[in-house]
Amino acid sequence: MTAREAAVAETSRKAGYRHLARAVLYREFLLFVRYPANAVGGIVVALFFFGVLFYGGQMVAGQALTDSIEGIVVGYFLWTLSVGAYSSISNDIGSEVQWGTLERHVMTPFGFAPVALLKGVAKIVRTFLTSTVILAVMIVITGTTLELNLLTIVVVATLTIVSVLGLGLAAGGVTVLYKQIGNWLNLLQFGFIVLISAPAFDLGWMRLLPLAHGSALLQRAMVDGIRLWEFSPIDVGLLVGVAVGYLVLGYVVFQYATRRARRLGVLGDY
Amino acid sequence: MTVREGDRFAGRQNEGAGTGETAAEPLLERSAERSGSSAEPIDRVGDDADGPLPARRPPAVSVDGLCKRFGEGAGAITAVDDVTLEIETGSIVGLLGPNGAGKTTLIKSILGMVFPDEGTVRICGIDVYDRPREAYAFVDAMLEGARNDYWRLTVRENLRYFTTISGVDPDSVRGRHERLLAQLGLAEKADVPVRDLSRGMKQKVSLATVLAGGAEVIFLDEPTLGLDVESSRTLQRELRRLVEEEGLTVVLSSHDMDVVETVCDRVLVVSNGRIIADDTVDALLRGTDRHRIRISSPDLVGSIVSELRNRFAVIEVEAFDTGGRIDVTTDSDGLYELMARLRAAGVTLERVRTVEPDLEDVFVELTSAEGEERTMRGLEGGDR
Repeated sequence: MTAREAAVAETSRKAGYRHLARAVLYREFLLFVRYPANAVGGIVVALFFFGVLFYGGQMVAGQALTDSIEGIVVGYFLWTLSVGAYSSISNDIGSEVQWGTLERHVMTPFGFAPVALLKGVAKIVRTFLTSTVILAVMIVITGTTLELNLLTIVVVATLTIVSVLGLGLAAGGVTVLYKQIGNWLNLLQFGFIVLISAPAFDLGWMRLLPLAHGSALLQRAMVDGIRLWEFSPIDVGLLVGVAVGYLVLGYVVFQYATRRARRLGVLGDY
Repeated sequence: MTVREGDRFAGRQNEGAGTGETAAEPLLERSAERSGSSAEPIDRVGDDADGPLPARRPPAVSVDGLCKRFGEGAGAITAVDDVTLEIETGSIVGLLGPNGAGKTTLIKSILGMVFPDEGTVRICGIDVYDRPREAYAFVDAMLEGARNDYWRLTVRENLRYFTTISGVDPDSVRGRHERLLAQLGLAEKADVPVRDLSRGMKQKVSLATVLAGGAEVIFLDEPTLGLDVESSRTLQRELRRLVEEEGLTVVLSSHDMDVVETVCDRVLVVSNGRIIADDTVDALLRGTDRHRIRISSPDLVGSIVSELRNRFAVIEVEAFDTGGRIDVTTDSDGLYELMARLRAAGVTLERVRTVEPDLEDVFVELTSAEGEERTMRGLEGGDR
């Protein structure tokens, strides 16, 4: 059979969103298992800083720190989740621009947007895996006791970090337009500490900011043992609303930035 | 004609704004009809000798009045200047031009990676700005200076990934992938991460991923840049063979004249954002009325060489221990003038040869004539 005959005999099938999802998620999975150094490095660095915070805090604050240790562990767990979701998606978009693969995605029947959202899903799963390890070690180090209702924690924490995923998408979009700004946007993750700590103060309008309301609910779930269905519909509705709102905002900023980059001729022009 | 961006891209905006599921599915349907479910293979061959040709297919690429300016006012740069062209299916067309001529912007404008100010582009008959998702099912590109694929994945994983995002189920074109890997000499490296391959191999992987999804039109921007001579020749040979066997249409930009002369059926010469020549390589070579003259003389030194450089299109100068050699491209009148100047300067002609013009000579002739014309236009404009 000649190459041409073989080509004629072969009939291609279309790929739908199912195939796309499988391809993107499989790629993320391969990178995660093939290059574990990034994940392990992240865990080690996060635990090092927690160790400094915990042992240093004990020396300085003593009993005061021990009294509030549950809240600190939960807050740190949420912070590692947030940083993981935010920086992985924004850095990923920056890399795609640099490699020229973002342009290739843009000129496909699917475009880059669904790929970015699927990447977001993969990043959330990935960051949950690493943050769970960090949480476990923190519990052992501090000897604290937390309520670990898996369903409640996964749902509340996921919805909470979806809002920063939206911010990551927006930051990725800004990186498409202004290539060198990406590194500076990583500093935003330190602002997450303020948002996560917000429940310690009167929340008020801050509930509408990313992380703040979710952080309050996660504290209640993990420290006080409140189950998902025990939260008021308003609390859950606000959690979902903030998550969806920031995700949509991030998506719109990303789409706008990409279109503007195409108009200015700087898409992929690294 | 000026089309406002908001008007032109309204359709695409709708597709992109969260309605991808509904917007993209129908076109994937069409993509499949094109490539599979109507019993037509994705590897299509242009002219089948066994049967009559179907009704005339639209050109692979059709560009009409394309313009792109960057900036505004006096500092504005026209990167693409009223380009109109058609590219037939199953041909390799070279885009030739000096650095900064606008080749890459032209390619990116055709692909919609850069939104033009004016003009239309159709790929396989589909308007790339109005119906981008449909048009993109037919096209892929390897752009200059980019990796274009994922170095941490293996060669085969890259082929499968880029096939999927181009709208084709990779399981259904496994045979095609195996053939591509074999043809490009990548079979033994199929399961090796791309990062571990040589530069030439990486370039081939990039080409393979562009071909993997069965795109009918591919754009290659400087595909041989940075390759050694051997790798460049292998890539050129494979490209020519793939086009002849699979009926692909290739638009290839390069400033390497040898690459263009070797593989291209037709050449578009780009200068200052305009197409200043559009013909086959043979016709361009035949059409030149210039002669390339190679003169050797012990008297060809400093001042006279500088004088000749100022007056003529000097292709090459080589200094010897005594005197030197100079290659000049000129027409009949210029040749008489050249001889007169050499005589006046007392240059003894040791050896005079005419050299068969190559694409480089034609290119120099075309671009220098374009430069002069623009200068004249500028002067006329200044007089007004």
